[in-house]
Amino acid sequence: MAQLLMIREKIKSFYSRFEGFCKPALKFLLALVTLMIVNKGIPFASVLTSLPVMLVLALICSFFPMNFILVIGVLVVLLHLYALSLETVLITGVFFLLMFLLYFRFAPKDTILLLLTPICFTLKIPYVVPICAGLVGSPVSVISTGCGVVSWHLLHYIAENKSSLMTQESDPIFQLDKLRVLIDALLNNREMQVLVAAFAVTILCVYIIRRLPVDHCWTIAMITGMLIDIVVILVGDLRFETRISIPGLIIGSLVALAVAVVLQFFVFNVDYTRTERVQFEDDEYYYYVKAVPKNSVSLADRKVKKIKGREKPGTPASAEGGTEKERRDSPEYRVRRSKATIEQESRKTPPLREETLQDISGSVARNKNRTKRIILPEDTDQNT
Amino acid sequence: MTRMASFEAGEGKRSMAIGSYFRGDYIAKEIIKSILYGTVAYGIVVGLYLAHDLEEFMAGLYEMDWIAFGKMILYRYLAVIGAYSVVTYIVYVVRYRRARRNLRIYYNNLRRLGSMYRKESGEDGKQ
Repeated sequence: MAQLLMIREKIKSFYSRFEGFCKPALKFLLALVTLMIVNKGIPFASVLTSLPVMLVLALICSFFPMNFILVIGVLVVLLHLYALSLETVLITGVFFLLMFLLYFRFAPKDTILLLLTPICFTLKIPYVVPICAGLVGSPVSVISTGCGVVSWHLLHYIAENKSSLMTQESDPIFQLDKLRVLIDALLNNREMQVLVAAFAVTILCVYIIRRLPVDHCWTIAMITGMLIDIVVILVGDLRFETRISIPGLIIGSLVALAVAVVLQFFVFNVDYTRTERVQFEDDEYYYYVKAVPKNSVSLADRKVKKIKGREKPGTPASAEGGTEKERRDSPEYRVRRSKATIEQESRKTPPLREETLQDISGSVARNKNRTKRIILPEDTDQNT
Repeated sequence: MTRMASFEAGEGKRSMAIGSYFRGDYIAKEIIKSILYGTVAYGIVVGLYLAHDLEEFMAGLYEMDWIAFGKMILYRYLAVIGAYSVVTYIVYVVRYRRARRNLRIYYNNLRRLGSMYRKESGEDGKQ
């Protein structure tokens, strides 16, 4: 666990250190993936499917706000559909207009969800979206997720029925038929409606549960959300006879749970064993606060010190590229200097003093040989 | 101080714009905007339905009870706009409350910072 926390801290510190580069890079990646998915699904305008065009568009998106990716995505879709038929452009354009009226009104900052929903559908993990949206989003994420589900189903339908939609008929009855087929795909697609309803219910439930002031609310929310999602889809499948794959639903929901656990580790990693309840007040309110500490580790602050090799005798420091200060800071110089200091100090030390006991003991030693006592300099003070 | 600067640069701008309105004015403004958007959206959906059933619609054009048809369109419009307005009311009441709370915290911090500055400048004056 400590290792994982360390890795998380490293990722966070890396992101905060290089945020200026990371953000555009992530936007570039998101835009590129979105364009690749659109081009793979409805590759009708060959000009837009080339890699340089996609790269240039993604690069432009990386310098603009997130909503610009959405605008570029919609324009690319409409251009592709224009190459298919005019009726398709009309219906899809009307749908996008409706979507923008709803989406920009309530959730203009949920672009990431709107873009990730079709991407997750393409990757066959659509059930990740409602659980994650409920965990990190707000109730209005229902709108962006719903728009994403409808967009994907509409484009998927067009991709599947491109041969019937492509026929260029001048007869207005055929054109009306095309319109009717597309409107049916938009308004009477039961599978799509069941998924929109299931995702909306799941997002709301997950959001409500994860906001409850109970321990392990995120874990409870994600498991409950997964079960609710499965139940609503199953009920919808039974009621409307949709073609949703049940094994795919179960496996997809388990994958969604795994992704939610990873998300929890990065966003809401707390230690409930150290929960504290505190109470304080300011001028206007009393606060009853339950404080749950976050799990975190501090990264080791390592400093690398460069040690230079010994200088060759007679070689000036500047010849090696080092300055006088670096030379003085080197360990060899310090050792040499210490030795020299010790020698110098020892020279300054007074020689061993000979002090006769005659002055001290008086007449006792007067007739005898002089007794010499060696007194070390340190002892001088004690003995005198 | 860093948190305050971050608030001023990001969330604070929107919160201050919201905080400059009275609660009722702000919510009424947003509901009126929602009614306009909802009307456009409803018109588009009705247009789609008409396009879908255009043949039947054209065939029964002269035998249709226009008053009943108009009433049905109107009632559905009122139901849709009513639901949309309720959702708008809930969303914008929450947003207004959140903005006011953020502003209250911001002004508390600002007051605390001001008192710290005054304290420092008073000590400097004494020295």
